[in-house]
Order: sequence, then C-alpha cells, then structure tokens
Amino acid sequence: MTKFEAKNIVKNFRHEDYTLRALDGINLKVEAGDFVCLVGPSGCGKSTFLRIAAGLDTPDEGEIKFDGKTITGTGPERILVFQEGALFPWLKVSDNVEFGLKMAGVPKDDRSQISKRFLDMMQLTKFANAYTHQLSTGMKQRVAIARALVMDPDVLLMDEPFAALDALTRDLLLVEMQLIWEKTKKTIIFVTHNVSEAVVLGNKIAIFSNRPSRIKKELIIDYRRPRLVEDENLMKYQKQILAELRPEVKKLDGNKK
Amino acid sequence: MRKSIGKKIVFYVILVVVWQIVAFTNIWPNNIFPSPIEVGEDLAYSAADGSLFYGIAISMSRLIVGLAIAISGGIVLGIFMARVEVVNQTIGSLVLGLQSIPSIAWVPLAILWFGLNDGGIIFVIVIGAIFAVTINTYTGVKNIDPNYIAAARNMGAKGSQLIIHVLIPAAFPYMISGFRQGWAFAWRGLIGAELLFSFLGLGFLLNVGRQLTDVSQVIAIMIVIMGIGILVDGFVYKRLENKVMSKWGLR
Ligand SMILES: Nc1ncnc2c1ncn2[C@@H]1O[C@H](COP(=O)(O)OP(=O)(O)O)[C@@H](O)[C@H]1O
Ligand SMILES: [Mg+2]
Repeated sequence: MTKFEAKNIVKNFRHEDYTLRALDGINLKVEAGDFVCLVGPSGCGKSTFLRIAAGLDTPDEGEIKFDGKTITGTGPERILVFQEGALFPWLKVSDNVEFGLKMAGVPKDDRSQISKRFLDMMQLTKFANAYTHQLSTGMKQRVAIARALVMDPDVLLMDEPFAALDALTRDLLLVEMQLIWEKTKKTIIFVTHNVSEAVVLGNKIAIFSNRPSRIKKELIIDYRRPRLVEDENLMKYQKQILAELRPEVKKLDGNKK
Repeated sequence: MRKSIGKKIVFYVILVVVWQIVAFTNIWPNNIFPSPIEVGEDLAYSAADGSLFYGIAISMSRLIVGLAIAISGGIVLGIFMARVEVVNQTIGSLVLGLQSIPSIAWVPLAILWFGLNDGGIIFVIVIGAIFAVTINTYTGVKNIDPNYIAAARNMGAKGSQLIIHVLIPAAFPYMISGFRQGWAFAWRGLIGAELLFSFLGLGFLLNVGRQLTDVSQVIAIMIVIMGIGILVDGFVYKRLENKVMSKWGLR
C-alpha cells in the first residue's frame, strides 16, 4: 500500500535579482513500512523536500499525498526530526518528549507514562530531568527521535539526524535506528548525504540530482538486518550510488560563482 | 561578586567617615550639609513612626500595579509586532518614537487625563515601562530559532499554544532584559511623578523634606530610593536572569 507519495513537487526560492529553482519535479512513492533514504549533494533541496513533506512549507507545483489524500499542512501523522534536533532548551528532556502530547491535550499522567516508554527505548531514562544543554550531541538526537516517536506518526521524516555525531556514536545509532524501525514498523524517509549511512539504513535509496533537482535514480537494497557499517557486502551498493552522485557533485562545483 | 564584597564594605565605610569629617569641619552650614549621623537619625525617626515604611509600601504598590500592566501589555504588543509584519511597520515605528520620551514628560498629560491621583501615577509608570518590555520582547521573538517554531507546529501547537509554550519561553532571556529596563524606567518615573503631584509615597516624602527645608530627610529618602533600586535589581532580576541562563546553559 502506498503510504506517502510526492507528485511532481516543484519549489522555487525567489531572491531579489534571481529565482533559484530548488526542486524541479520530485516524484517519490513510499510504501507503508518502507525505510527510504534520500541522498544527494548538499544544497540540492533535500531539507526543502522534507519540510514540504511535513507540511511546513508549500510547493509551487505538485502535491504530497498521504494515504491517497492530498495534504494541506502539518499533521501528527508526519513528524519531522530536524538536523540539529531543534529541542527546546527551556524544557527538561521529559517535557521535550511530552510536548506533542501536551499540545494534543493528553492528561499529565498519561503523558508521563507514554514518554517513559520512549525514554526507555532510547536509553534516556537517566536523563529525563536534565536540560538539553547538559546532553551530548548523540543524546540530543535520541531525545529528538523520542520526541517524534511519542507522536506515533505513520511517517517519520528525518533530516540528517546523525550528521553532527562522532563515528562511534553514529554507528551505534545506525544499529538502533534499524531496531526501532523493526519494532515500531514506521515508514521512514531519511535524508543523508552520507552514502554508507544510506546503505545501512535504507531498503530503498532515492538519489537526488543537483539543483534544480529531481530524483535521478532509485535503488532497492534487499539485504539482511541489522546491517553494520563495516559490512563489505554493502560496498557494491555504495559504489553504485557514488557512481550516480559523483557527476552531480562535480556539477555543483561548476555551478559555484 | 563574593570576592568584591569586602572591598565594597571598606569603600562605603571610608565614604561615610569622609562625609562625617567634612560635615564636622562646618565648611557648609549644618542645615545644608548634614552629617551622616543626622541623616541616620532622621531615617531611624521616620522608621520608628512608621511613615517611612508606609511611604515605601505606597510607592511599591503603585509600582507593582503599573509594572504588571506594563509587562503584560508589553509582551502582547511585542509578540504582535514580531509576528505580524504590518503591525511592526506601523505601531512598531510609533513605539520607537514613544520610547524616546522621558517618562516624566508624561506627567502633565497624566494629570490632565487622570487627575492628581493614583491613576495618574500608574499611567506614568505604565507608559514609562511598557515600551522597553515591548522592544525586548519583539527582539526576543524575532531571534527565536525558526526550527523551534516549525517543530512545535509540526507537533500540533497552534495559536495561543504556540505563544504560551514556545514564543514566550523561547524569547524569555530577552524579555528579562526588557523587564529589568522597564523596572528601571518605572522606578524613575514613579519617584518623579510622586514628587510632582502625589500624596504619599517616597517621592512625596522627598517633596515634604524640601518644603520643610529638611535636608537630612531629603538625603535619607534618597538613600532609601537608591537602596530599593539596588535590592530589586540585585535580588529579583539578577536571580531571575541567573536562573534562566543556567537552565538554558548560556552560562
Ligand atoms: N527559505 C529559503 N530561502 C531561500 N533559499 C532557500 C531557502 N531554503 C533553502 N534555500 C536554498 O535552496 C537550496 C536547497 O536547500 P536545502 O533544501 O537546505 O538543501 P539540502 O538540505 O539538500 O542541503 C539551497 O541552495 C538553499 O540555499
Ligand atoms: Mg539539509
């Protein structure tokens, strides 16, 4: 069943003396329970696409369909995890995680019960009463993921959530992310510019071209899980993706003024 | 701060001693330049008959009412300006203009509009403090990381929820500076207004001192005004600021 579909998404950014065409007709179909990784050169419009998918931004052309219906704005069924986490520094970890439930009017007792479960899942129980500045970058991203999962979205949109992590923490979270996906059966659309991350996580990879960007190629990775970064069998997929990406990155260099 | 406290004590002791010596030499007549002992006696006297505390209580109650109105009004106005561009372009420019008027300059209007009563005084306080709160709230809201707002909207926050649970707490570090400035303007405006047209309050006691040519009462009241200023700033605002800053990890 198609859970999420982007149809011919076009997005232009108007500047004073020119218009920048970021997305030039993005088409993407995501089945329920898919783990799709979007890879592409930086600046090609991946974040823009996710914001549109979340309903935080509107496309100039095209539409996003969720369960067959065109979306008109944000919704609790599509939750975005931001690149920098965007955690609220004025709230404790547990209150950050409970935020969406509070907005939905869930009573305090139920909220803390639900958040406890996800804090536990993300191994954050010890930090429930900490403020976010007291956490490491890796811990912050765990909080951001817990905060999104609490909303029980059908589709989790993740924008390079592991980009700022050190290699060890990232490897750990790459494994955990696969376990979470298997446990929660969420549909995940995960943006990254890191090819090894993409092949570990995704069962489908969509490769963005450079601006004005389209999806250049899609790739299915049918391979056992949990996958590890150092697994040599994943190398051939990485090579295929890199072969597609290299010319795009070169174009980017040529584009620079 | 702890380390400098010893130096401060020494400094003030020396200051009072020098003052006492100068007063003792009688360069200026005693009724124009009283000694610290006389000022202290005056303070003790007005404390003993309760008039001092009554004056403080009256002034502070006016201040609290005025400041409460200014803070709530300033927050609302500041958020409006930050979130609605047309409000910023229109009312925003007026706010900047009004902010440049010293609060004491509102006194004639206050008397004409409200008469010689508490309403007039509170008006002067509100008008003196509200724009500092407005401008700082505006700046604070403008500086909020747009991803905070996007994330909150994505998690279902809208309208007043967004204001109460995101905009105000996110802008709070800036808003504290607004409260602090607002309080300082309000305090100056209050004393000025009381001095000019009020019954009761610290400004009124100053005026009574002048009318009785009681210089030591004037100085005593001024010292009280200064003391309250230092106390409120040091205890209320510094504490609030430290608390918020350390919670956010900004310090
Ligand atoms: N709000 C905006 N206003 C103007 N230009 C923008 C805006 N958001 C993104 N862009 C531009 O659109 C392009 C794509 O940005 P982005 O989606 O952040 O790329 P990516 O996430 O793939 O690195 C970039 O060139 C960026 O400068
Ligand atoms: Mg991005």
